[in-house]
Amino acid sequence: MVSAIFIIVVGLGAAFALGLLKDSWRNGAFALTMAALAVMSWISISWLGALASGAAQPTDILTAGVQPPFAINLRVGLAEAGLLSVITLTGLLSALYLRDALMQQGRRSMAVLLIAIMALSGIVLTRDIFNLFVFFELMVISTGGLVLLSDDERAIGAGFKYLVVTQVISILLLVGIIFTYHAQGSLNIDDFAAQPLAAKGAGLAFFLLLMALVLELKPFPANGWALDIYESAHPGFSAIFSAASGTAAVYAADKVLATGGAEWLPLATFIGLFTFLASNILALRQDNDRRLLGYSSVAQIGLVLAVIGQRDILGDQFLYIAGGILIAHAVAKAGLFWISGVITRRELTAWTVLRLNPPLVVAFATFLAMLIGLPPFPGFYAKWELAHHLVAEGRVAVLVLILIGALIEAGYLFRWFGLAIKREAPVARPKYAPGKVLVIYAAALLGWYAGYRWGALSQYDNLLQAMPLMVALGFLLIEGLPARIKNVIAIAALCVWFWLSYGSFDPLQMIFGVIFMIGGAVIFLASFHETGRRLGFYPPAMLMYAGLAMLIVAESSFAFFAAWEVLTIGSYFLILRGKKSEPHALSYLMFSLGGAFAILLGFALAAGGTAPLAIADLAQVTGAVAPWVFVLLAIGFMTKTAAIGLHIWLPGAHAEAEADVSPMVSGVLLKAGLYGMFLLLMTMGRQHLFGVDLTYVLLWIGALSALLGNLMAIFQEDAKRLLAYSSIGQMGYALFGLAMMNHLGWLMALMFVINHYVYKSLLFLSVGGVAKRTGTRDMYRMGGLIKLMPLSFIAVLIGIITMSGVPPLSGFGGRWIFYNAIMTADARLPMVLVFLSGPIAFLYLFRLIHTIFLGQLKDEHRQLKDAPFWILLPQMIYVAFLLGFAVLPGMALRRVDAYIGEHFTEQGLSWEGLTITSEFGYWSPVQIMIVIGTIFTLLFLLLLALNHKAQWVKQFNIVYAAERPFRPETTHFAWNFFAPYRRALGFLLAPLVTRFWGAITNALHETAEFTRKLYTGNGQTYAVHVLVFVVVLYLVAGGIS
Amino acid sequence: MITIAMTTGFVLILIGLYGALTNTNILRMIVSFTIASTGVNVVLVSVGYMPGRTAPILDDAVPVGSATTSIIDPIPQALVLTAIVIGLGVTALMLAYAYRLFRIRQTLDISKIVELKW
Repeated sequence: MVSAIFIIVVGLGAAFALGLLKDSWRNGAFALTMAALAVMSWISISWLGALASGAAQPTDILTAGVQPPFAINLRVGLAEAGLLSVITLTGLLSALYLRDALMQQGRRSMAVLLIAIMALSGIVLTRDIFNLFVFFELMVISTGGLVLLSDDERAIGAGFKYLVVTQVISILLLVGIIFTYHAQGSLNIDDFAAQPLAAKGAGLAFFLLLMALVLELKPFPANGWALDIYESAHPGFSAIFSAASGTAAVYAADKVLATGGAEWLPLATFIGLFTFLASNILALRQDNDRRLLGYSSVAQIGLVLAVIGQRDILGDQFLYIAGGILIAHAVAKAGLFWISGVITRRELTAWTVLRLNPPLVVAFATFLAMLIGLPPFPGFYAKWELAHHLVAEGRVAVLVLILIGALIEAGYLFRWFGLAIKREAPVARPKYAPGKVLVIYAAALLGWYAGYRWGALSQYDNLLQAMPLMVALGFLLIEGLPARIKNVIAIAALCVWFWLSYGSFDPLQMIFGVIFMIGGAVIFLASFHETGRRLGFYPPAMLMYAGLAMLIVAESSFAFFAAWEVLTIGSYFLILRGKKSEPHALSYLMFSLGGAFAILLGFALAAGGTAPLAIADLAQVTGAVAPWVFVLLAIGFMTKTAAIGLHIWLPGAHAEAEADVSPMVSGVLLKAGLYGMFLLLMTMGRQHLFGVDLTYVLLWIGALSALLGNLMAIFQEDAKRLLAYSSIGQMGYALFGLAMMNHLGWLMALMFVINHYVYKSLLFLSVGGVAKRTGTRDMYRMGGLIKLMPLSFIAVLIGIITMSGVPPLSGFGGRWIFYNAIMTADARLPMVLVFLSGPIAFLYLFRLIHTIFLGQLKDEHRQLKDAPFWILLPQMIYVAFLLGFAVLPGMALRRVDAYIGEHFTEQGLSWEGLTITSEFGYWSPVQIMIVIGTIFTLLFLLLLALNHKAQWVKQFNIVYAAERPFRPETTHFAWNFFAPYRRALGFLLAPLVTRFWGAITNALHETAEFTRKLYTGNGQTYAVHVLVFVVVLYLVAGGIS
Repeated sequence: MITIAMTTGFVLILIGLYGALTNTNILRMIVSFTIASTGVNVVLVSVGYMPGRTAPILDDAVPVGSATTSIIDPIPQALVLTAIVIGLGVTALMLAYAYRLFRIRQTLDISKIVELKW
């Protein structure tokens, strides 16, 4: 194997050789540069491969033929090889990316680039602190040179500010080095480790040394200089500055910190966390893409520093965790800077142009997911391990702060993604330099590869080998096919997956499995209506279904959490497709990720450091921590079921989604939360916190969700919003049933799971079909469609009969079980609330029939046809199912009833023939069907008989008698239909929850706006920041140690 | 002797920093930083100084055998030489920047170069 010192030799040698070339041989000079960088990369990667596979051992390279400390030594271990690979590869790709700029500036700029990469590699390799100083100064000088590659004249100012600040830093560094030397008698880092520093009274010297290295990490607030460089430098260089320089500087800090002993780690944690949180908050107010990326870079490096601060408890996992975050950051940030280089304008909305080039959108999403640590990227595994270690050692506060910071980061990054996807894009497709685009794709592929490697290294299953996820990602490769072919494949995939796995399901998994897979396949039938290629629909949809498929078979907390995040991301992209979905998709993602982090924290608490934890082992969690685990997991699951307080994302997300997406995210996706609740209550049962029974709290949440969700639904004018609000209420019922913690309550919840899937999918499809034909979702703009859209009418009719729980359809079965269940429960007040919400549901459901299908036909709707065939087909399947399920509810519920019986001692239902008996009475679906059918027929015949007396009323004879009103809707009888109720009950619907979350968001934004004024843009102010930072930290460090 | 040298060094550093932070003229800042780095070099040298010994140059006057007892610590000397060279490089780069800044902005006042902020 080639010695790693050749990384430095080749870099330096090629840089000098460039000086000998003729200035006009630019192609030759560029080829030489690329060749040198390729050799440097190759050496690094071959070391990485050899060390990772065990073929080589960590090696010390002696210079001058003398043992250290009498000469400088370099070291290549696994960490060094990995970081060298990051640095040299970034250099190689960036050089390719910078080709035009380098060719224009000539060979000198290429030499400077080589020196930069060589210096960064040297920082990683060297074990001598003075040598470290030399490499740092080389980095400074080469950075100063490369900043000038930019076309932006402001970069010159930024570069000068950088030099001013680095002068201050190098003074600190040199003074720190010489006094450390004085105290230690050596410049070699390994000699420090042998003799703890504090013991020799050299604390201040070490502090200065450490501060100088930390300042290179651009800690908040001493980092204005770095932000200015990020904003103005050439993005090809910013990629190096963020990915490579950041990596090298972090490693230098880590090397020195490792010698200082555990007492310095809290300081690193503090600086890291402070930087991570503050920079993420400040980034909220950025509308310049490169500056935003700068803030994010600074924050990520802060996070790595905070992880370094935990190295005393991470043990041999330290490299895996810190490395995972660092590599994810490096690849993602380099990739994002490279993308920013092909975009001409700097505001965030300029990224809409990426839409004209879909593979770049995939790359963009890849990089964002990597930064946030979503599966299957390295940061995800790192986050999981980190959380478990932190919780095991009682550092929950550190974890909570990290998660808050990560959530804020997700907020601004995905807001940006939303802007890029939803805002108006330019028409003309820009021409990109092929080299630049190639570099971006290379980074994205490296990111996926790193995810694969990290998965293989983890102690869990590699997510990128999970069959459902692979299938979902496979849809990225067949995006070019027509939508209908992809639809067939998607339906087949869901059915095959169900076929392969249903044998091992228990009855609970079976019900959810049927809903997720077969139910999903039925909804996909509606997608046959779409023609063309329908780009960007199938990968996210299949990602969501992959997450759901992985969720029900998950046996360990890791598999469950991974599946949860996968389905969250998939559904986010899916919801984002709606025309006006931009804010709602973001709000959905924020609540879901917040919930996911709560789940992560809950699982980590439950595991108590003994991961992997089997889901079933949640039952073994006892002691003071158990109720907290319960609370965190319940909150996580309730973000998905949109329990009241966490519901504000749902109406917009479901209503604005496309016609076939609404049933997916409502009928199918909401059940994931219920599945989680089932597992939670099944394993952990009743938990008490401060003497309060937590299931009782859930009972109240369920009841309030049912009441308020339904109340909000009755005042909607938009039919899809109405259905969306009604979901909040329906999920409230299910939660209520679960929280009753008795046999029938659970059975009722399961009945709701099935029913809600069917009727909500049915109603969303029929309303979606009507909206497609009429071009509006406002009910008062419709009317009299019964004759034109008879099938849709039948679907809605059956749907609302089921949903309102009146006989004879299966909704009544749900009600019947519910009434039996509450007979045995003892929580009276929430029960009254749930009772009340029943009739309220009827108020809004009846409007769907009354306002859309009855009444006067609108003039502009006279030519309408019924909804498209493919949208009607699944509706008719649902109608048939509902009729069948009404007569034979036992086919699904019987086995489940027995299954639930294993968890409760009390009597379930008895199923004899077609009659179901409880201790309070019996329910015979067939008899009910016959009775209701008879009454219906009689009434119908009576009405027909009376029909000849009816008088036809001419349209417009009342409403428009005298004038044409200015706002037609105000005179429409169906507009603001329940105004009197609103007057009476409106106070209940004051948007308190919306205001609450809005206030939090605003407070964060205001803080950001206020704080970022700190960066005045004046180089001297920045230098003062650096000095003040050091002095304040000296005082703080005194306090900590 | 060591104390005097070291104190002088630190005073120079402080003077340099003070000058760099209070003068808004870029050239004056550069000069101030040069003073500060001179101060750093003095501190470096003074740390390695030992009273009564001679320069760490092995020649006829200092035979190899007795070198360990008769010369001062050579390491700080070597460090200072390197630091001076690097300081020169950085100063040259800053001057080049000053020149380019003046070319495009017609000013050397650093408080006027604040278009990148927040």
